[in-house]
Amino acid sequence: MTPETARTIAVDVNGVSYEREVEARKLLIHFLRDDLDLTGSHVGCDTGNCGACSVLLDGVLLKSCMLLAVQADGTSIRTVEGLGSDGELDALQQAFADHHALQCGYCTPGMLMSASWLLERNPRPSEEEIRRAIQGNICRCTGYVNIVRAVQAASGQEVSE
Amino acid sequence: MLLREVEYARPASVGDAVRLLAERDGARALAGGQTLVNVMKARAASPDVVVDLNGLEELKGIELGPDGTLEIGAMTTYTEIVESAEARARPILGEVCAQIADVQVRNRGTIGGNVCSNDPTNHLPPLVVALGGTMTIRGTGGERTVPAEEFFLGVYMTAAGPGELLTTVTIPAGKADGFASLPIGRDGTCIVNVAASLDGGAPRVVVGCVDAVPVLVRPESAEDDAVRGAVRAAGLQPPDDVHAPAEYRRHLAEVLAVRAVRAAKERAS
Amino acid sequence: MTETTVTPERPLVVEETETKPGFVGQNVPRKEDKRLVQGQGVFFDDVKRHGMGYVHFVRSPYGHAKIRSIDVARALEVGGVYGTLTGDEVAILTDPFFELSTPPGAHIKDYALAVGKVRHVGEPVAAVVASSRELARDASELVEVEYEPLPALVDGEAALAEGAPILHEEAGSNVVWSGLFDWGDFEAARAEADHVVKIERLHFDRFSSTPLECSGCLVEYNRGTGQWTMYCNHQMPGVGAIWMAPALRVGIDKLRFVTQDIGGAFGNKICLHPQFVACCLLARKLNRPIQWTEWRTDQHTANAHGNERTFLDVEVPVKADGTMLGFSVRAVDDCGAFPRYEPLGCIIWAQVTPGCYRWRNIRVDFTQVVTNKSPVSPNRGYSRMQHLWLTERIVDIVARELGLDPVEVRKRNYVRTEEMPYETPNGCIYDSGDYARCLDIALELIDYDQLEERRRDAEARGKLLGFGIGSTLDSGTNNFGQSTLLNPELQFSGNNEVATVKLDIFGEIVVTLGTVPQGQGHETTAAQVVADILGCTPDDVNVRPGHDTYWNSHAGLSGTYASQFAVTGLGAVKGATEKLAAEMRKLASLVLGCSEDDIELAEGQARMKANPEAALPFMALGAILNANNAGLPTDLDITLNARYMYRPPFELPDKERKYGNLTLTYATQIHACLIEVDPETGGYEIVDYAAVDDCGKRIHPQIVEGQVHGATAQALGAATHEIFAYDEDGNLLTPNFYDYHVPHALDMPPIKNGYIESESPFTPLGAKGMGEGGGAGIHAVCAALQDALGKTVTRSCNPYHRVWELLRSEDRGVTVQAR
Repeated sequence: MTPETARTIAVDVNGVSYEREVEARKLLIHFLRDDLDLTGSHVGCDTGNCGACSVLLDGVLLKSCMLLAVQADGTSIRTVEGLGSDGELDALQQAFADHHALQCGYCTPGMLMSASWLLERNPRPSEEEIRRAIQGNICRCTGYVNIVRAVQAASGQEVSE
Repeated sequence: MLLREVEYARPASVGDAVRLLAERDGARALAGGQTLVNVMKARAASPDVVVDLNGLEELKGIELGPDGTLEIGAMTTYTEIVESAEARARPILGEVCAQIADVQVRNRGTIGGNVCSNDPTNHLPPLVVALGGTMTIRGTGGERTVPAEEFFLGVYMTAAGPGELLTTVTIPAGKADGFASLPIGRDGTCIVNVAASLDGGAPRVVVGCVDAVPVLVRPESAEDDAVRGAVRAAGLQPPDDVHAPAEYRRHLAEVLAVRAVRAAKERAS
Repeated sequence: MTETTVTPERPLVVEETETKPGFVGQNVPRKEDKRLVQGQGVFFDDVKRHGMGYVHFVRSPYGHAKIRSIDVARALEVGGVYGTLTGDEVAILTDPFFELSTPPGAHIKDYALAVGKVRHVGEPVAAVVASSRELARDASELVEVEYEPLPALVDGEAALAEGAPILHEEAGSNVVWSGLFDWGDFEAARAEADHVVKIERLHFDRFSSTPLECSGCLVEYNRGTGQWTMYCNHQMPGVGAIWMAPALRVGIDKLRFVTQDIGGAFGNKICLHPQFVACCLLARKLNRPIQWTEWRTDQHTANAHGNERTFLDVEVPVKADGTMLGFSVRAVDDCGAFPRYEPLGCIIWAQVTPGCYRWRNIRVDFTQVVTNKSPVSPNRGYSRMQHLWLTERIVDIVARELGLDPVEVRKRNYVRTEEMPYETPNGCIYDSGDYARCLDIALELIDYDQLEERRRDAEARGKLLGFGIGSTLDSGTNNFGQSTLLNPELQFSGNNEVATVKLDIFGEIVVTLGTVPQGQGHETTAAQVVADILGCTPDDVNVRPGHDTYWNSHAGLSGTYASQFAVTGLGAVKGATEKLAAEMRKLASLVLGCSEDDIELAEGQARMKANPEAALPFMALGAILNANNAGLPTDLDITLNARYMYRPPFELPDKERKYGNLTLTYATQIHACLIEVDPETGGYEIVDYAAVDDCGKRIHPQIVEGQVHGATAQALGAATHEIFAYDEDGNLLTPNFYDYHVPHALDMPPIKNGYIESESPFTPLGAKGMGEGGGAGIHAVCAALQDALGKTVTRSCNPYHRVWELLRSEDRGVTVQAR
């Protein structure tokens, strides 16, 4: 309640509990990358446009550069490192690889989080729904063509021409 | 990235939040943060204290009254509005919210944050004015209401002054609404947007992106020529920037006003 | 045998060609993907070191100003600040970077930090290092810089005007380089023509590929050896070192570049030497690792823009039947505040002098100037894209003026497949291709025969339909000798790339590349080539990710740039693997007691052709030489560690005539699109798009198609919204992804792809470099807008407001003179 410039927060990230003191000004993305060494989520802009830092916070997809780390106190976070299990790829990750939905791979973690969130809520999305779901994730390599195909494939649908 | 040092507070109630905002000059309410955090990253503004409203359940939710009035808590997210069965009582609300930015922003950004930041390119300021909304503002001295058309005072300036908090946006019953915009790319930043409503007599046409505040125009009828003429007569002085010369924005205001009114008529019939 | 296609259910058009079975040509799974989809890639900003300090640059708020004083005292007082660096120190500790130009550009002094003067908004003037990123920024705000503002120059043509402010006093002029290129006989062509079409002014706007990962590095300094190690995302370390080492006054081996994963580069990560030198100086001065992360706004304001170019007084002699005889033009190229990689852009365009056309008489008066904008850097399609935009604008403007059909006029003027290899008027050799056939495929993909019906349908909906073509060449594998056409003193020519392939003690095949991949899948395609030669599978081949100078697998011109990996990179891999294979056969023959010719490599073994039972697994070969070699002949000179340098077959160009072959391969891209314009708003949408590509033999069709998609998306962004616009004081108006709108998923039309494979006769695998493309999407959209609006399109980037202005404008600037 009392305003503070730093506080100790507790978060669960990908099933692991962390307790850390963090400056109030620190963005969640910097906390994940620099304090917790979870470097899978990336920074591609400084205005919340690119979505490379997208994570699930208590199951809700958002951009971790648009949130202070202190705001995540008491939440459960899922990042790209939490996809798949035992080092094996999940169906979506595998579809990204199969359909060449990544080139440099920098946007990929955020893109996967957005696509995962979509498929959790909409198991058979249309092409338009897929594009809307990844609208907040900029990719400079693929033109999104193969990303759309990968999400279609991961949802067991026919892949667009 | 890399904000200035800031104090963070997470009040337990709206009363606490209002007290904090009143106590500290440099305090700012932090709603969804989809504008404020960006501004802080650029160090374009650096509040001393951010008062996080995200834990305040009393600011969330949508209630549909028996007369069709919608009471929308200021901390209701765009996604919640898009997905709300109640909000469908006034369908334009969800339709416009669905066009704002992208999924992540819609999941976090709130109606209160949108109208209180009053970025001239925002979607909701012109919409709430067109729909004849009412804003409920809480201060340490109690609560007051302000019609939406009197709420917007300037860029990042609203009738919710220092030490005050917008708590509820009330939208009356209605249906004959339209919205038209020209964004930079689909769902991008609006170059010009126009909201229109035909409920309650003469059309209410509200143009966004052309001034520091949404501009309300009241054409005599919903006919194309009347709408176009009324927007022209409003003598808009829009900004001239990299995305559009002023003259182009003036032109778009007319075209989009006609389209918004047509859409409203279509829904009315 | 028919080619395997990417996904056979899709309508790919593929030539019938002879192929031999193997992994080359197959879509094998990418080796890079597993780590990247798991968030386990290692990008430079993921690397941390004990005690590292974060650097924040103090940047100029002025486009042009003298620096009166810099005071870092208050910044140094902040707890947690490790130290600072200013331009004064840099001027003492380093020499200016090597300039490629002849005078006046040769006299420009470019340092790691501004010295005495700032020349663009965002230019680094000082650096502050602190224990956290936030603190470094806090302290940088306490550095006091006193400026004396000067008038800013933000227009290339204005830079040439008398009385214009001079950016670099040492040069005495804003001109970096200028020269006349005159091939064929333009005057005779004009005399022979039935019409001369004159275009006053065309302008190619400023934009860049804006890779999603910005630039940066973590620099460690080894005090004992005087060596710097840079964990970074520099995409051309060989050339980076050529700039940095002399500036730092050290030998080139004191600079070690290490990369693993790079988040896109597109040429924009070639000119990082100023910031890296600042970090090197700080690492030495403060005796701790220095970390620099560039943020998006920094990248937009102060790193790598694409070249902006104005074309003036274009003249095109045309015969009555639509045959164009060439063109003349005055080009003014704006390279921003410092030349850096420039003036190479003043010659790179000449790789594609006549575009796809048989034009024989071409005169280009080329001048490059500096302005108070961000420096440029090579940018996907570097310099050729601007020029190809000109050739495509010429074709469509001439067609419009003379009432010619844009398809027919192209086919009439295209270089023909039976003319290949075709020598251009300036001596470049177009190796192979069939442009007319590619165009036909593109037209078929967008149902061109239904164009008029679709036009009527759009009209009925209040829309204007436009059709446009973009015909381009992606010239790959530079002959660096072209630099001598700009500056005869330069000692660069030819090209090279290196790879090493070794067989390790446990039979593991390890490949190291000199290249610096940024998403192009080098690990995968290299493994395909190795597997086919060694008779194993790509899974058996370990290609080390990224680049490390200490691997010694690079050469002076190494890097990933200029659409050349499939030729130079894989040429080196092929050469090294063949050397290793010969050594493996030799070793096996000694062990098995037969001749080398009796040995074949297959199924992970060296075995006797006549008796496959007599076989040595690779593991045995590796173990014998590396660990169990007693008894081997003393004169056996093998290492099972082969290093090979691929050198493309180039001659020195003729400096007098500015004549010679400037690139080895010419991949073709023919794109066609349909757009619908809303005439009331100027808003428009691309409603159909086809991209036909011919890059010779495709090593990995899926990767090729991915590159086509990406190049197309970047071109469509550049055609519609992406522009680096400045105000008159030199402030960038689009410094972030908010105002600089790149295509998002909803903005991109579906792309229909088609292919033919015209193998290059000049390359080791018949492949051609590809990836950059030639900006075909920009050209196609401009053409389609012109068709829809019925107005001459004179800018490369046409956001909605420009379209609306075009709709209302009087068509001006084009005249036709009948002879």
